[in-house]
Order: sequence, then C-alpha cells, then structure tokens
Amino acid sequence: MVTTSPGGAPAPLAVRAAAWHLPEHRVPVGELAEREGLDRERRTVLAGLGIDTVAVDTGLGATAMAERACRGALARAGVAAQDLGALVVVESRAPETLISSEVTRLQARLGADRALAFGVGGLGCVSLGPALLAARGLLAADPDLHHVLVAHASTPATPGRYRHPVTVNGDAGQALLLARTGPVRILDLVQETNGAHWDLFRVDYRDRPWEQWREECRDLPGYSFRLAVETRNRLAALLAGLLKRHGLDRADVAGYASQNLSAGGLRFLEESLDVELLPECRENLARYGHLGPNDVLLNLWTALANRRLAEGDRVVLVNVSPVAAWNLLLVEIGPWESTA
Amino acid sequence: MTDTAIEIREFLTVALRRPVEPDEDYFALGLADSLFALELVVFVEERFGIRIEVEDLELDNFRTAERIAALVAGKHGGPAAGDETGAGRAARG
Repeated sequence: MVTTSPGGAPAPLAVRAAAWHLPEHRVPVGELAEREGLDRERRTVLAGLGIDTVAVDTGLGATAMAERACRGALARAGVAAQDLGALVVVESRAPETLISSEVTRLQARLGADRALAFGVGGLGCVSLGPALLAARGLLAADPDLHHVLVAHASTPATPGRYRHPVTVNGDAGQALLLARTGPVRILDLVQETNGAHWDLFRVDYRDRPWEQWREECRDLPGYSFRLAVETRNRLAALLAGLLKRHGLDRADVAGYASQNLSAGGLRFLEESLDVELLPECRENLARYGHLGPNDVLLNLWTALANRRLAEGDRVVLVNVSPVAAWNLLLVEIGPWESTA
Repeated sequence: MTDTAIEIREFLTVALRRPVEPDEDYFALGLADSLFALELVVFVEERFGIRIEVEDLELDNFRTAERIAALVAGKHGGPAAGDETGAGRAARG
C-alpha cells in the first residue's frame, strides 16, 4: 500500500494500453552512411555506444508511425478512436512542415473527431512528462472524459542519426492510452528543468539546406562535466523526494528503467543513483538505438513481457534531456496481461 | 604542489590512464566524458569530505589538478590546500 504525504495522493492515472510501431528495417551502426564522414575519434565513440543496430523507417513518416502505434493501443483496449476524450501529441523536434499541425493531422487520420487535441514539447525526451501531466489533469478535471491518447513518433531532426558523443537516433512510434485505471498505474511524476542549458545541443537550419543540418553540441566539456554532475545531483534529490513523498525506501522499488542513450549513459545513471537498471534498457538500446521519449515505457513494457516484474511491483522510470530537464515516474504494476 | 593536488593528480593519472601534469587541462585534451566526471567528483567529495553543489560545477574549477585543489581548499574555508584531514572530514561525521 502506498502511503502518500498529508497532501494526499496525486489524481489517478494509469496506462490502460500501450503500443509501438518499431520499423522492421534495422541498420547496423557500422553501416550508417554518415560514418564515412566521421573522424577517427568520433568513429571510436560511435562504436562504443552499445548500439548494434538502429530502427529505420523506410518511408512511412512520423505521423504514420504514430498512427500505427495509436491504432495498436486502441485495438488492445477495445476503444474506438471516436470515443477518445483527448489526443496529446509529443511533437517532433523537426516537423515535416512549419505552421501546419502534426496534432490535428494525426487526429484526422485516426478519426478521433471528438477528442480535445493538442501538442506538448520543448523538453526533448522529457516531453513525455508534460504529456502525462496533461492527461492526468484532464482526467482529474472532467469526470466525463475517460481516455486520453498520448502519441509520439521519434525520428532524427537531421539527415544524420549520430549525435556525438551521445547516441544514435532510431525511428519509432509510440501510443499510450491513459485512463484512471489500468495495468500500469502512474503513481507520481516529478520534474525539474534548468534553462541554462537550453541550447547545449542544437540544429541551425535557417541559413542552410536540409542536407547540411547537423546536431551540434555548443560545449562538449560542459556536457560531459557540468550537466553530468548536475544530473547526478538533481536525480538523486528527485528520487529521494519522490520516495519520501510516498513513504517508500529503496527496498520498495523493484526496478529502474531509463531512456536508452548509450552503454556509458546507462552506467552513468546506475552509478549516479546507485541502482541497477532493468536489462531491457541495454537490450533495447542495442537493438533500436535511442527512441527519444519512447524509450522508458518501451523498456518497461519489454520487461513486463519478459515477466521480469510482477503485480504490485513499483518501478522508477528516469528521463533526462540536455535542454536540460529531469523527470522521474513512479509506477506500480497491476494485474498484468501482455499487451506489448 | 600541495598534498591535495598531488593526490588529485594521482587519481587523474589512474582514471585517465596517462600521466597528468598539475596544470594540464585534461578537458581541453578531450580526455573527459560524463562517467569520468562522475568518478572525479565522487573521488573529490569522498576523499576530501566536501559536497560538490551545482554552483561549484564551473568547468574552470575542475580543469586541472591545481584548480581542484583550490576548490577543495575554498570548501574547507582556507586559502591553502592540503589540510583536508581537519574540517572536511569532521563535516562528514
């Protein structure tokens, strides 16, 4: 039983069903075309990221990947798109067109005509957090609203997939059907940001054709040092506060999962928090590369499919973005049937 | 070179798997990644009994062994490094 602070428990939120579109086409990292243009140091880092292959979409596009995931989640829950109360899209880092709406495009393709539809973003991988907060708020505020669909398609902002020295971006669509009850209860969510890092990584685009877009790090030593140590301090404090708020200690947490950036990044988180991450993090990292905001719940669902977790287990999910943002989710596993 | 700087230099030499001079900027040489940063900060905190806070994380405080020693000395409340056996350790309990 979770004991909450005197302020009471957060409003109920649960993942009723989840689905992913993971492209079958996977490209070995050693065969990425951009590898030819990398110097020796970058090739060495790339080879040591712990990524064997990346999932590559061969023509669907972001909206269609998200749509496939949405249809999968709706089908698993037996919910019709017309009955969705809200559709929240975690927007692309680089949409296909400006001014237009990815959100209403997906709404139209799904036929979710009655859904309140809007987008969230601006925090990289951590943008999943505001999407879940919006869903929780909507479900708490409107008793007639029963389902919120959160969707995202992760695909690189640039022609290249390698973000030196961090990760290799893969492609995937994700859909989470959220309700007040479901097999994975989201007990709580804590999040912090520090705008001092807002453009640590960026893509300049206004003065150059798309073929020349590159992800550039403004300050590599700053990334490797200041943000790294700040991340340790922030996450340790957030975790301690999150557990305390629910009357839990480390022994009450059955597992931890994070986003999949690199083998070194996963080890960094383990050492920062003095925890061991679920092995599915490394397995999905090696298989798909980094899938942005889609990683953490894909890792959790993979662990559930592998029967690594049981009913009543509590799991902490960790998301970090260099913009910079830090987010922890505390979830509890309910009665489980594989829906992965 | 202070005792603190000597100890830090020894740590750096082992962690980076190459000799490091007291005033050598190993970040500029591209030798540091986030795991190394974590190990370095944990070493400094545990060995010298201080807590590195976000406001201490200016890279300039950590660029060389000498600068880290100066940070440690400042944390201990004195201009000189090498007296870490006193207040810092006591603060750790």
